This record gives sequence, C-alpha cells and structure tokens, in this order.
Amino acid sequence: MDLSKVPNEKKLHLSKWYFRAGFALLPFVWAVNAIWFFNEAFRKPEYNEQKQIRKYVIYSGMGALLWLILIVTWITVFQINRASWGEFADKISFIIPLGTP
Amino acid sequence: MLNKVFFALLLVYTSSYILESNADRLKDQMYIKINGSVACYRRMNSTHQIGCSSNRGGSIGIIHYCDTSQDLDFILKNGSAGQYIPVIPTSLFSLDVMTELISNKHKIAGLILHPTEKPDKFSHDTQCPNSRYSVDGTCSSKSSWNPWGTGLLFADIPFPMFFTENQEQVQIIKQCFQNFNNFSYSTQGDRSLCSLELSAFMYATTSTPTCRRRNNIITNLNPVKLCDPLGDSNVWGSLFPLVEQQEANNQNAKPINDYKYIVVAARMDTTSLFEKTSGAESPITGVVTLLSIAKLLKQMLPDNVSGVRKNVLFILFNGETYDYIGSQRLLYDMERGHFPTDLPINNDILPTIYPENITLFIELSQLAPGRATYAHYIANSELINKFVQSLSENNPSNLPVNSVPNSLPPSSLHTFIRGNSSIKGLVLTNHEKEYRNHYYNSLYDNASNIEFVYMNGSNIPHNSIQKYVGDVATMVAKSIYQELMGQNYTDLAVLNLTLVDEMFHCYLEDPNCKLHMAVQKGRLPKSPLSLYVGVSVVDNFFTTLVTRTLAWFTGDPVAPSGPNCTNLVGNHVFVYYNLSHSLDRLDDMWCYRATVNMTEAVSPAFIIEDYDWSSNKYSSWSESTWNDMGMRMFLTPSSAHQKVTITLGSIVMIFSFIIVYFMKSKSHVLFNLPVREDPPANC
Repeated sequence: MDLSKVPNEKKLHLSKWYFRAGFALLPFVWAVNAIWFFNEAFRKPEYNEQKQIRKYVIYSGMGALLWLILIVTWITVFQINRASWGEFADKISFIIPLGTP
Repeated sequence: MLNKVFFALLLVYTSSYILESNADRLKDQMYIKINGSVACYRRMNSTHQIGCSSNRGGSIGIIHYCDTSQDLDFILKNGSAGQYIPVIPTSLFSLDVMTELISNKHKIAGLILHPTEKPDKFSHDTQCPNSRYSVDGTCSSKSSWNPWGTGLLFADIPFPMFFTENQEQVQIIKQCFQNFNNFSYSTQGDRSLCSLELSAFMYATTSTPTCRRRNNIITNLNPVKLCDPLGDSNVWGSLFPLVEQQEANNQNAKPINDYKYIVVAARMDTTSLFEKTSGAESPITGVVTLLSIAKLLKQMLPDNVSGVRKNVLFILFNGETYDYIGSQRLLYDMERGHFPTDLPINNDILPTIYPENITLFIELSQLAPGRATYAHYIANSELINKFVQSLSENNPSNLPVNSVPNSLPPSSLHTFIRGNSSIKGLVLTNHEKEYRNHYYNSLYDNASNIEFVYMNGSNIPHNSIQKYVGDVATMVAKSIYQELMGQNYTDLAVLNLTLVDEMFHCYLEDPNCKLHMAVQKGRLPKSPLSLYVGVSVVDNFFTTLVTRTLAWFTGDPVAPSGPNCTNLVGNHVFVYYNLSHSLDRLDDMWCYRATVNMTEAVSPAFIIEDYDWSSNKYSSWSESTWNDMGMRMFLTPSSAHQKVTITLGSIVMIFSFIIVYFMKSKSHVLFNLPVREDPPANC
C-alpha cells in the first residue's frame, strides 16, 4: 500500500490498529508501525490526524525497543547459562545443538 | 525440418564431446580419501565424557610427519601456519606426549597414529582398572595391577585421533608431507600445504544423564539419538540340565530347585583407544580356558549323576571392561529372581537361581603362561583352601599353583562380593601382584603377546600357550569333578589340545576357522572379530559364536539335523542347534540340545526407572552416536591466495550492486521505456 495515496483518516485508523495489534505479543507489528508511519508522523507537513499518528508511532517504537532489550537480554543470559542450567535449559529448548555441553 | 535434423545432430556431437571429457566431480579432484583408519570416539559415564571428537564438519590441520619426539617438539615451537595434525608412530605415543599435545591444543587439530615396532608397554587403561566398582583395598597406587596404564582411555581428548594401520596410506600421507610441507618452515604460511581433514564429530557430550535426557525430550524439534548404553549379552550354560527328566521326553520335566551351583566365569570383552581391538591375553585366554573346562567336564560327566545335588554354571560376562556391566546386570537379575529367565518365581518350567545358591565362584582371568598359576581370593575359608589344594594335586603343568590370599585382581567376582559378601570365590590368573600383560586393553594384546602359533592339527609343543591353557583347564575340571562327586577323577577323559589350538586361531586370527564352520554356516568377516562390547542395540558376532560353541561343548546330539531342530516351540528349558558332529566331520550335521542361553548385559542403571545417576551404584557407560567418520587429504592454498580470493569476491559483489543500482535508475534511458506517469489518485 502506498501511504501517499491513502487519505489521512485511513492512515490514523491503520496506525491505531497496528498499535493495538502489537499488544498481542507482536513486537514486530509495533516495529513495522514505527518505521512505516515515521515519515507521516515527523516529516510530513502538519495535518489534523498527525498528532495522534505521532503518538502511536512513538509508543509503538518504544514498545518495540523494550521488546528488543528484553529479548537480547534473555538470549544472552540463556546462551551463557544453558550448559550450567542442565535439565531446566534442555526442557525449555526446542533445538539442542549437537556435540556441545 | 532440415533445421530440426541439424540441431539433433549438433546435440549428439556435443554430448559425445562432453562424455569424452573428464567427468570427475570437483570434490574428487580436490581430495584424496585415506582409507583403513579407525577412530577414537566418545563415551560418557554419569559424570564425565572421555575419548575424542572432531569439530562439526571435520577438523582441518597441516600434516606434520614425525619420526622422533624432536620432530614433534619442533613443530609445537616453530609451527607458524595454523593448526597441525602430527602423524606419529605408536612407539612415540605416551602419556608425556599426549600431555604436551593437550596443553598445546590451540596448535593441534588432530593426531594420526600408525603402527611401528611393538613398544615395551602400551596400556591406556588406568593403573587400577574398574577400581570404583571393586572391593575396597584391592588396588592402590603403590601396588597396582596395571602399573603401565596411562589412563588415556579415560581422558577427555580435545582433538580427533585416528589409527591408520594401512602402511600404504601412511606412505601417501608422508609423500604429500615431503613434497609440500617438509622444507623452509619459516615460509610455510606463504605457500600451499598438504593438509588432512578428520571427521569424527560426536553428537553427545558431558555425561550419560545429559545425553539420555536429551534423547528423550519431547519438545525437541529435531529429535536425534545422541547416545546408546554400552552392552551386549552375557552367555551362560550349565553342565547338567536344570530340569529333572522322566526319560527322554521333556514333557514331564520338572525344575530342580534345590541344586547348589559352582560358577565358572570369565570375561569376554576388551577395549582399546580406537575402534579396533585385539584382546589375546585378556579376555581370550580366559574364554578359551572356560570353554575347555566345559568341554572336558562334559566328557567326564556326560549325564546327570543321581544323588549329586550340584550343578556347574558356566558364565561369560560381557562389558566387564566398562565397570563390570555384565556381572552387575546378572547379579541384579539373580537377586530379583530373573535368572536364568524372567519367568515368574516358583514356575513349573525352570528353577530360579539366586546368589545364595552359588557355593563356589571360580573366575578365569588372564592365563598366558607366567611364573605360576595364582589363585587370588579375599576371604579365607575351608572350601577355598580345599579347592586350591585339589587344584595343586590335579595340576599337570610344571608351573605351580600358588594361592594369594587377601588379594583380588579386577574381575567379575568383585561385583558378586560387593553384592553378597558371603560368596566364596577365587580368581585364577598368571600374575601375583601386577599384570604379566604389558598391553592390557590395547591393540598390542595380540597373538604375539601370548606367543601363540597356530599348529593346525600337528602336535602341540610343550611350552606353548595351548598346552598351558589345556593344563589349567584340566586341573580346574578335575577339581570341580572332585567337588561335585566327592572323589578323584580316575577315568581317562583328556582335553583335546587341537581344539584349544583351534579356538585361539578362531578368536585371534581367522574367524572363518574350522570350529566356527562347525557351529554355524555363515561367512564371517576376514579380520579377527571385535571384542569391544559395543552398544546394546547392535549384537556382537563374538557373543553368538561363543554361545554356539558352548552349546556344542556342553550339549547332547539328540537326532540327526532336521526341520524339527528349532527353538520355535521352545519352553526355555533347552536350546536346540544344528551343529556339526565333529571338527573332522563338518558336513555331518546333528541336532544338539543344550542348556545354554544369553542374558542381557546392559547395566541396571539403564533399566531402572528414575535411576539416580549420582548414586553411582551401577556402571553408567554410554557411547555417543555420530554421522560420518573418515579422513581425507588435500592441499590448502596459501594464506595470500586465500586473501586474494576473498578480496576479489568482495570487490565483484560491491561492483555488482553499483551496476544494478545504476541500471535501475537509468533503465528508461538504457531500455528506451516510456516514463510512466503516476496514475490518478484514489485508485
């Protein structure tokens, strides 16, 4: 969809629903929202709905960033401790690498 | 039309041209496969991993052929072109060399061993084999059974190791080393070098509990079997049937529940650092002695003697090298009333034999001629004294029988004494304080270690291994006869030494020997059979052959061979085999009925549900699985060459991006396309 051809109300609607959908543990939807509507929110000349779009873009971006931090932290902690956690780590793994402790 | 014919012809000519050309795959042009090598692989117990593994996809290193330890030190100090794979003779392989290599593991990608003249000692088991599962105080670092043991068999080696027996292949490696590597070492980094890729990637790590747990995880998206427990089968047989028969038909057979048993035992497995085993002195001398005793006792006592409430059990334990797997399991089964079968207790088919029913346990350990024959036992008792006394009296050999009280070399008897300390047993060996055998559990424990020469039917010399083993078998058989009957043996049965000769030949040299042709008709491998216990999911040839041989020695021919000679209607009491009449009449087949069978030799640790691995009650050895194993040789390009290749590749890639971008942005000019107007909005 080319945003330049979408009327402003529709943009607001889209951005709002992308933001809401992100609450269903879908950080990628927030990331898409933040990137897709970034130009609309910050770089387009002012229009009525822009303020609300900007709000959704900022919240989505912050949400995505929070997710990123959480996931990176968890992966680091897990990978460092996988071997020493033993049975617990194996139980929460879907793929266990061959030939490594 | 003409055009079509022309193209068809063109196609035919082109294809014929292609066929003539060299159609080797690029892979085959790059690599030379090195065949005839056996690898070291990984095993685990409840706490550790031992053995070797390569990297995933193979470990690559530059060949360095070493004749002396100076060559090895040289490359460890001066090697400048990355990781090396030293190729060393077995005479160089020692604890010191391995310690040095392991401490320099960042410089070593692997190790190749090739055989040279026999080293003085070559044993990589520990100095006190199986000490953790032995009776306390039977071995100490001051007086150990295997003082030459390096313990490398139980070390975790951080690189792959291969044993290349084929000298031609070693020469190919050496030639490549001479042509490309063996000059101006300071400039090695600047030129192409001959390298090896060793593939022996092991799937399992850490410990048996870890890999067993990962084998069974259901959430795993990619389930792969990582390890298998070590194990195979124990073989047992009895001198007399375990049932009382009313005449010949065994319909009315009743189990005999009140017999006492004399156990004659031996181990039947060995191991080595690599996939190949030898095992002449341990375990073959013991196995042959046991089979000879069985044969001779059957000759002395062809039928059950009424009034004698004793029987003899012959048991060959498997997996004893790895913390007494076979004996631990057999004792476990016995204690639970599952020996000889898992029929319910007090059934009316077979008796249940408990450890308490064993009066005397005689184990045959390493029995190549030494200074004397030693009878080791821990607790002194009248029974043992009497038995040792009768051994001495019945000893036809000029080597004396000496008793060694308060001593017990590594043997299956340890398991039984630990389980039930009242059991009376002794171990017959050729050593008093330390092994005569300098090659315990190694590749060099071969026929020449026990000075075995196959006589092929001619007279057996007086000072030979065959004669000695025959003498030991005779004295044990006569003493057991005395124990059973309460009187000396006065009849004329003698052991046929040709049979002893034949057994050694079968197990050490040629599996397709006469004896094996007598007990089975299939073709066997050309090289000596492996005596490694292996994983429980694979059956060993050796176990099956020994079972049939024991059945041949202790069974009775009941009828000429025929379709009725099967075990399909088997009632557990007897086993029926089609076997030859004798070594001279291989084609004269008879149906033999014997009380011989196998029991599972897998450690109880693997069958007990919720077994607590940290209890260390039972052997916990398992072996890792792997996918491919092998090695190949190739030329690695110089590092300059590699750098040029990567730089060129990167430049081409960057240029292609620029060109594509340029062409896209100027496509309307290049391809003369009309510039498209944006369509009207709201579509």
